[in-house]
Amino acid sequence: MTTSVDTQVVPPTAPRDAGEALPPVPGTQIDEAPQLTAAQRRRRGRGVDQSSPVVKIAGYIALAITVAVIMVPLYFIVITSLKTRPDIYSDPITWWPNPFNPQNYSYVMTTLEFDLYLRNSVIITGILTVVKVTLGVLSAYAFAFIKFPLRNFLFVLVIAALMVPNQITIISNYSLIAQLGWRNTFIGIIVPLAGVAFGTFLMRNHFLSLPKEIMEAAEMDGSSFFRTLFKVVLPMSWPTVIAFTLITVVGEWNEYLWPFLVADTSATAPLPIGLTLLQDVEGLTNWGPVMAGTVLATLPMLVIFLILQKRMIKGLTAGAVKG
Amino acid sequence: MTTIARPPVPGEPAQQDPPVRRRQGTDWRQVGLAALLIVPNLVLLLVFTYRPLLDNIRLSFYHWNIASPRKTFIGLDNYIEWFTSPSTGTIVFNTVVFTIAAVAGSMIIGLALAMLLDQKLIGRGPVRSMVFAPYVISGAAIGVAFQFVFDPGYGLIQDILARLGLDSPHFYQNAGWALFMITTTYVWKNVGYVFVIYLAALQGRREDLDEAAEIDGTPAWRRFWRITLPQLRGTTFFLSITVLLSSFQVFDIINVMTGGGPFEIGTTTMVFQVYQETFVNSRAGYGAAVATIMFLVVLLITVIQVRMQDKEQ
Amino acid sequence: MSITTAKFSRRGVLGATGAGVATAALAGCAGEAAGQDGDGTIQFWSNHPGSSKDLEQAIIDDWNAANPDTPAVLVDGGANYEELGQKFNAALAGGDLPDVIVASDVTWFNFALNEATTPLDELWVEAGVDSDSIVDTLREDYAFNGQHYGMPYSRSTCLMYFNTDVLAAAGLPTDRGPESWQEFAEWAPALVSANEGKPALVIPDGTSYLDWYFQGMIWTFGGAYSREWEPTFMEDASIEAAEFLKEQVAKNHIAIAKDAANTFGLGNVSGLLQSTGSLGGLTESSQVPFITTYLPGPAPGCATGGAGIAVPNGISDERKVNAVKFMDFFTNTQNTITFTQATGYMPVRKDALEHPDEVAYLEENPNALTAIEQLNENTAPQDYARVFVPGGGSRIGGALDRITIGQEDVMTVFQNLQDETQRTIDRDIEPFL
Repeated sequence: MTTSVDTQVVPPTAPRDAGEALPPVPGTQIDEAPQLTAAQRRRRGRGVDQSSPVVKIAGYIALAITVAVIMVPLYFIVITSLKTRPDIYSDPITWWPNPFNPQNYSYVMTTLEFDLYLRNSVIITGILTVVKVTLGVLSAYAFAFIKFPLRNFLFVLVIAALMVPNQITIISNYSLIAQLGWRNTFIGIIVPLAGVAFGTFLMRNHFLSLPKEIMEAAEMDGSSFFRTLFKVVLPMSWPTVIAFTLITVVGEWNEYLWPFLVADTSATAPLPIGLTLLQDVEGLTNWGPVMAGTVLATLPMLVIFLILQKRMIKGLTAGAVKG
Repeated sequence: MTTIARPPVPGEPAQQDPPVRRRQGTDWRQVGLAALLIVPNLVLLLVFTYRPLLDNIRLSFYHWNIASPRKTFIGLDNYIEWFTSPSTGTIVFNTVVFTIAAVAGSMIIGLALAMLLDQKLIGRGPVRSMVFAPYVISGAAIGVAFQFVFDPGYGLIQDILARLGLDSPHFYQNAGWALFMITTTYVWKNVGYVFVIYLAALQGRREDLDEAAEIDGTPAWRRFWRITLPQLRGTTFFLSITVLLSSFQVFDIINVMTGGGPFEIGTTTMVFQVYQETFVNSRAGYGAAVATIMFLVVLLITVIQVRMQDKEQ
Repeated sequence: MSITTAKFSRRGVLGATGAGVATAALAGCAGEAAGQDGDGTIQFWSNHPGSSKDLEQAIIDDWNAANPDTPAVLVDGGANYEELGQKFNAALAGGDLPDVIVASDVTWFNFALNEATTPLDELWVEAGVDSDSIVDTLREDYAFNGQHYGMPYSRSTCLMYFNTDVLAAAGLPTDRGPESWQEFAEWAPALVSANEGKPALVIPDGTSYLDWYFQGMIWTFGGAYSREWEPTFMEDASIEAAEFLKEQVAKNHIAIAKDAANTFGLGNVSGLLQSTGSLGGLTESSQVPFITTYLPGPAPGCATGGAGIAVPNGISDERKVNAVKFMDFFTNTQNTITFTQATGYMPVRKDALEHPDEVAYLEENPNALTAIEQLNENTAPQDYARVFVPGGGSRIGGALDRITIGQEDVMTVFQNLQDETQRTIDRDIEPFL
């Protein structure tokens, strides 16, 4: 993640002065299963139905404004993907494709070897997500529950990695990968991106927020590590793990600069690199196919978000019921 | 396994001791386990993050054209050049303004949206997904889409203003407006991240406090300041750091929308300068110096943030 | 893993052996004896100028059919010349060099100066390439120290576009552009009033290569950005040209825009300065009828631009010769005709213009002919200060933004530009010449 290139995609997080015990960072507990107070339970049931009509109307107005502000640029991405070239730039701008031109999509599919790039993206994102989530959870477990020498120092080392801007790591990593003969291989793309700092931080702080008594009980039972992890810790952590997964998937899916440098052809390069072929260097780029490519590349992420988000919220409510 | 204790609620005073296994001395079996768990990740970070970082710091003391095999040691010259260059002021100003505006903008709007969509409003489900969607789209595509919004010739804002009989600002030609445009676009993209984290924190907060205040007749805005916001303090702290770090490293929106201009450096931030100097101007040594300065600044800011938070507690 | 032992390896030092991973060869082993051996294929790194991936692949397929022993592989080198340069720079630092790269007008020289790319003259002889068949202007664009470091490939020049409706309404000739910038200044008021007060001409802004377009203008005034390595921003003629530009902007005769081509295509201005590369796009999408003309003279009034292809220095001699043979084939008469007709770039071989296919094509597409004719009559290679001095383009572009959009004082801005350019030459160029 620290070598990630699309710097906006992966939110880095903060190091802590680990010389002291770290308080749980509440943002990291976005989805733990809190035991609800009676009032919270009541609230869940009824929402804010009792609020005055004025407040409700104001709420809906705000909702409408939100929808408008968020939607307009999204809408333009989608309709531009359906426009012909002369229709894209017009003054005033047109709100509906005329003529309707879905050929942009077939153009993307045929000129790009779209299926190959998509396959590569799925492979890279899939492996990286599994590896990063695993590594993140495991190292967070160690940092949160096991006492060992240099623990705080090593934790700071992990976290400070978030502060290294990826622009400065690529050249050095490129020479290493090239010498290993790993250019144009999945392993060469994946391994340098596989270290996980954000997730370690996220998961560790979540683990620290778990009730101490549970860990102590597990210890008294003499549970093995795996038993403790799978039977005690993870069941209380799924929502956080899902959030971690979501952020990782999105980040790796949009990864550009690193795969661009080490992957030459559609044999290993992921989608964002394939999409650059649609842009024209000196002339006028035909934005219709570019936007069609963007829509196609984004859709899988939105589907994954919808699925995972539901599980995240479900995790919350499940926790509430259990409590 | 039954849950016997209530997990902490975000914003509550944190427990000070991590639940470490309390034993006398060092349990070497545990240490071995810990090593197994953290070493793979640690090795990856050392090889692929810290090795390049140290390499970068070393290079910052050299004059090195990136296309050349020759490197000339020049001591602190790159640093001296940066600190005395007339463009540094503008670039630092851009970085600071962009970062502060981006952090404040996405935090305030993200919180407002989270509070709004925490209410029971019809259609809040789809809107929640919609707010997150921009976070998923690549910066390059967003840059192009916003051209249809901002272009003073044919863009949407120009269209709306013209109907009101007003002229559109020259978003691409006035450094201030260009910075405004970049920031707005970035906030639009990034607000989904803040929103999701705040929304989840709001769902876990202690509503009984709110309700007690409601019964007391405390007005809504005071309830927000006195009760809701303090409960979210921890989340706010977490977000302020994560959003700050990501804002500091924004590259592709700037690259696509303005290329760092107008006036060559009108919207150039430090990360953009690192890229520009290293890969466009081929001055890899100088770029490395800027990157090192940037790394130290980020480190310093984060340490200060953490210290401030510690004091508050 | 010892952190301190990790060094940058230099190009050409390690082949694909994978030995000595972390303790890579020490930096600065200049003058390595043998170059990298490849895997027997010719690796061609291209950013597919003019959305030309299919075309490039088709030409490569032909090559592979004829040369099964040295097949070529087309590699995606990024979305633009900068990205391609970045990828090549990474390869220079890390090994695993390609055989042929696309190098733009602003990147090739830095590669040549730092011996990252190889001089081609001896290789041309060895590979049996007739360099005289290359269009002279375009070939000489890659000359440095008496040697040539590239072959022209996707070469462009600028064109002036005029909305013929507005020309007619203004009572101006509809078959030619202004012959000098002074004539443009005389035409401009008529063009402005014939088109509802909209500016007569739009030029892309400083981040969209205003510095490239203005180069021709400054020449017609007798000025230049530089003469060889001598920056000449403060010459009277250079200042005069800049003052002219500033005044024309102030008078609303010239507009500076981010998206100049679309502004013109929508009819929001009457004229446009743009690359030949935009001709295809505008022909398809413009909502106004237009003609293309030379840039105002006296000649030369326009710079050439675009990209060539070059060979990395760090590969083995055998690879170099094969690479040059491939380049020769890739840009031969037939292929350059196919490529340029599809993209709008200019043919790079002399005999391409007499080829019946091309003659027929140009008859049908007079706008494409404008660029080719202009190449011989109205162009010159670019000034060093823009293309050879690191950061030259964006530095000059930023200064021109200041005097046009910002209406700042020309003397002050150009004095700064002069000083900064000189400083950069002293620091980054002088020691390496």
